[in-house]
Amino acid sequence: MTDSKDSITRRTFVRGTAGVMAGLTFVPGHVLGANERLNIAGIGVGGMGASNLNACSAENIVALCDVHPKHAAGTFKKYPNAKTYGDYRVMLDKEDKNIDAVIIATPDHTHAVIGMECIRRGKHVYLQKPLAHSIHEVRTLTEAARKAKVQTQMGNQGHSSDAMRMLYEWIQDDAIGPVREVFAWSDRPVGGDPWSDFPIMARPKETPPVPETLEWDLWLGPAKYRPYHPIYHPMSWRGFWDFGTGALGDMGCHILDPAFWALNLGHPERVEAVTTHCIPEVAAETYPRASIVRYEFPARGSMPPVKLTWFDGRLLPPRPKDLEPTRKLGTNGALFMGDKGTIMHGSHGAGGVRIIPEVKMKAYKRPAKSLPRVKDGSGGHERDWVRACKDGKPASSSFEYGGPLTEMVLLGVLAMRLKNTMLEWDPVNMKVTNSDEADQYLRPAFREGWTL
Amino acid sequence: MGAAAAIGAFTVVPRHVLGGAGNTPPSEKINIASIGAGGQAASDLRQMESENIVALCDVDWARASGMFRRHPDARKYRDYREMLDKEDKNIDAVVVAIPDHMHAVASMAAIKRGKHVYCEKPLTHDVYEARVLAEAARKAGVATQMGNQGQASEQTRLMCETIWDGAIGQVHDVHVWTDRPLRGINDVYWPQGVGRPTEKPAVPDTMAWDLWLGTAPERPYHPSYAPFKWRGWWDFGTGALGDIGCHRIDPIFRALKLGHPTSVEGCCTLVNNETYPVASRVTYEFPARGNMAPVRLHWYDGGMKPPRPKELADGRTWSTNGILFEGDEGKMYETRLLPESRQTAYGKPPQMLERSPGHYVEWIQACKGGKPAGSNFPDHAGLLAQLVLLGNLSLQPALKEKVTRTRLLWDGDAMKITNMPEANQYLRREYRKGWTL
Repeated sequence: MTDSKDSITRRTFVRGTAGVMAGLTFVPGHVLGANERLNIAGIGVGGMGASNLNACSAENIVALCDVHPKHAAGTFKKYPNAKTYGDYRVMLDKEDKNIDAVIIATPDHTHAVIGMECIRRGKHVYLQKPLAHSIHEVRTLTEAARKAKVQTQMGNQGHSSDAMRMLYEWIQDDAIGPVREVFAWSDRPVGGDPWSDFPIMARPKETPPVPETLEWDLWLGPAKYRPYHPIYHPMSWRGFWDFGTGALGDMGCHILDPAFWALNLGHPERVEAVTTHCIPEVAAETYPRASIVRYEFPARGSMPPVKLTWFDGRLLPPRPKDLEPTRKLGTNGALFMGDKGTIMHGSHGAGGVRIIPEVKMKAYKRPAKSLPRVKDGSGGHERDWVRACKDGKPASSSFEYGGPLTEMVLLGVLAMRLKNTMLEWDPVNMKVTNSDEADQYLRPAFREGWTL
Repeated sequence: MGAAAAIGAFTVVPRHVLGGAGNTPPSEKINIASIGAGGQAASDLRQMESENIVALCDVDWARASGMFRRHPDARKYRDYREMLDKEDKNIDAVVVAIPDHMHAVASMAAIKRGKHVYCEKPLTHDVYEARVLAEAARKAGVATQMGNQGQASEQTRLMCETIWDGAIGQVHDVHVWTDRPLRGINDVYWPQGVGRPTEKPAVPDTMAWDLWLGTAPERPYHPSYAPFKWRGWWDFGTGALGDIGCHRIDPIFRALKLGHPTSVEGCCTLVNNETYPVASRVTYEFPARGNMAPVRLHWYDGGMKPPRPKELADGRTWSTNGILFEGDEGKMYETRLLPESRQTAYGKPPQMLERSPGHYVEWIQACKGGKPAGSNFPDHAGLLAQLVLLGNLSLQPALKEKVTRTRLLWDGDAMKITNMPEANQYLRREYRKGWTL
C-alpha cells in the first residue's frame, strides 16, 4: 500500500478511535473502496496465528512477531513483505503508524498484556480464546476495548457459525421448553491427538539450554520466572497452570459458547469442581487428567435457573433418555435439557445441532431465520472481524461477548484449583465471597516489569 | 464340613461320601485352609482363629511368613492345587484371598471338593466366572461368603430399613462414589492409567511367579504387579470399581432389591490395554422390582462425585467417598436423611432385619449348618459381582470409544449384551494354557 493521503485518511478511521472524539460517527463501509485493505500485524504466528492470518490474507499483512522465529519461519516466509520482530513491544513502537489491527495467538498467559498494549494504541484486536489467563485480565481487556472503541474478536470461531444461530432461534422458538440443565463435555486433555496430549507431571528439573532463536524471557512474559524446558513450548503449555487454562479454558470457549449465548447465562452464582488425583508436586504444576465442573446460574428474565455441568478428560454426562441407545455421544458436545425435549450439539459453535431423538427433530417445524448469518460461517470468523474494522459494527464474538464467556470459563478453572469447594461468586466485586484463597488466582501477580 | 450332600447332577463329591462325619456340629471347630496367606488373607484369618487353621498356601513365602509364624502347626504350600489334593480329607473350608484373576479357579476347585468357601471381593474377575461360581456353590450346597465385611454392619441394615420404611419415597437415582485410585497415575497407592513396564527385574527367591500369574497371560515379573498393585491392571485386578464397588454398592443392592440391570453405560479417562483408567463414571439402569420404581445407579471414582445436594448444610462435609439416595420424597446421604432436621424428626426406622453376629461369624456358623451368610455366592455375591464387573466391561479398552459412547443393553438372564455383539467376548476371558474353571 502506498502512503498516499487517501490511505492515511482511511487508516485514521480504521485504526479505531482510541481516545479520539466521542462524537465520532463511523463512516459507512461502502465509503471504503473495495480495494482498500486493512494493515494487519500478527503476534504469535507459528501455530494458530498462522491460520488466523491466512484467513485475512486478502488484507495487508504488514508485520509479524514471534518470540521464536524458527518456529514461525513458515509464516515469515509466506509474507515476505512483512517486517518481522521478536518482541511485540518493539514491533508496536516501530510500526505504530503502519498497523491498523493485530491478530494475537500467543499462549494464554500473555494474551492480556499484549492485547492491552494493542488496545492502548488504538489497534483493532483479534485475540485467541480464552481471552486471557485470569478473570481480572479478562475484565480489564473487555473494559479497555469498550472505552477505546476498537473492534475486537475472540478466536472462538464457532460463534460465527450458522448452527449457532439456528440453536439460538430454536431456543427462542421454545423448541424444547424452558432449559434447566446443560451438560457439556470434551475429550481433552487426552483426546489422543498430539496437540491435546497435556502432560501431567511435576515441574521438570532438567534445565536444557534455550534454543538459540527463542527469546525465553519474552515467552515467559508476565509469568513467574522458571528455566526453559521444551515441554512448555510450542504446545504443551496448555497443561500448565502458569501458562495455559487446561481443557476447560481451551475447549470451554467453544463448547460452552452455545449455551452461554442461547440461554443468556451471564455470571454464575456458584461453581464447584472435582478432579482426578495427583501427588501434590504434580497437582501444583499441571491440570488434572479429568474434571467435572458444576455451575449454577440464576433465573434470567423469563428463563429459569440453569445448572451447567462440564466434563473433561473423556468423562461424559449420563446419556439422556431421549438418545437412541445405539447413537453415540460425540467426542465433544453439549446437551440442553428442556422441560419439553432435549437438544444435542457438538463442538465449535453448536456443530451438528439436533433435537433428540431424531423422530422429534424431523417432526419439528423450524422457525424462520431471524438472526443474520455471518458470511462463510465459522470459516468467516476472522473476516467478520475485518469487516467490523471496516464498517464499525461489532464482530460476532467481540470482547463484549467473549469477555463474559471467558470469565465464566475461567471461574470453572479457578474451581478446579480450589476443588471440592462450592465457590460463591460475586461478579460485581469480582470476588469469591467464601474463599480468600481465590484472590491470588483471580488477580495473579505479574513478574516484575510487566503490567496490564 | 460341607453341607454338600444335596447336589443334584453336579459332580461335586460331598465329604460324607468319602467317609466324613457330616456337618460339623456348632460345638466343634472347622478346619480351614487358606489360599493366600499375606495381606488381606492374614487379616481375614485373624478373624477366624476360633477355628483350626490347618493349612496355608501362598505363592510368596516371604509375604506369608507372618502367618506361618503365627500358625506354626499349619502345613505350608505354594500351589493351592497341591494343597487341596493333599489336605482334602483334613479340611472343611477354604479362604481365598489372592489377586482377583485367581478367585474363580481357586474357589471353584474348593467347591468341587465340597468345601465351604470364603472368597475376597470382588468374587471374580469376569462376569461369566461370577455366574458360574455362584451356580456351582448353589448346586454344591456349601456355605459361602464374599469378603465385603460391610454387609454385616448396622449401617447396611439402617439404610435398607429407612428405604423400605418409605422415608424418601420411591428412589429414582442413587449415587455412589470413591476417591480410589487415590493417586491416579502417580505410583503411591496403586497406579491406574499407566503402561506396562519394560524392565525385567529378577523374580524374588521367595516367589513362584508362574503360580502367581496362574490363569493370566504370560508376562515377566515386575514389582508393579505384586504385591498389591495388581489391582490396577486389567489382566489381574478389577480397578476401583471392582475393589470398592463390592463394598459400597452392596448396601444399595440390598436396600433397592436390585438384580440384573437392563443397561450400563460407562465413561472414563483415556484407557490403555494395561491399566484401569484414572477416573470413571458408570450408570446402570434397573427396571421396576415388585413395588419399587425403576432406578438409575451412578458410580464415580478417581475423585469424581455427584453434585453436592442443596439440603446438605453449609459446613457439613461432602465426603470424597459416599452414597446418596434421591427419592421422590427426599434424599438420604449415607444413612441420614437430608436435611439433618428431617433426620432428627424421623429418628430410626422400625427394625425389619435381623442384626448380624459379625461378617466372619456368619460364615463360620453357616459352615456348621447355620443359615446362609449375608453375602453368600448364590443369593447375593454372585449377582453383586456381576453388576460391578459389567461396569468394567463398559470401559473395556479394546472396544475404546465404541463402548464408552454407547449404552449397552443387558439381558441378565441370557448373560448377553444385546446391542453390541462383539462386547460379549469380554464377559469371559481366556485362561492361560493349563488352567480351567
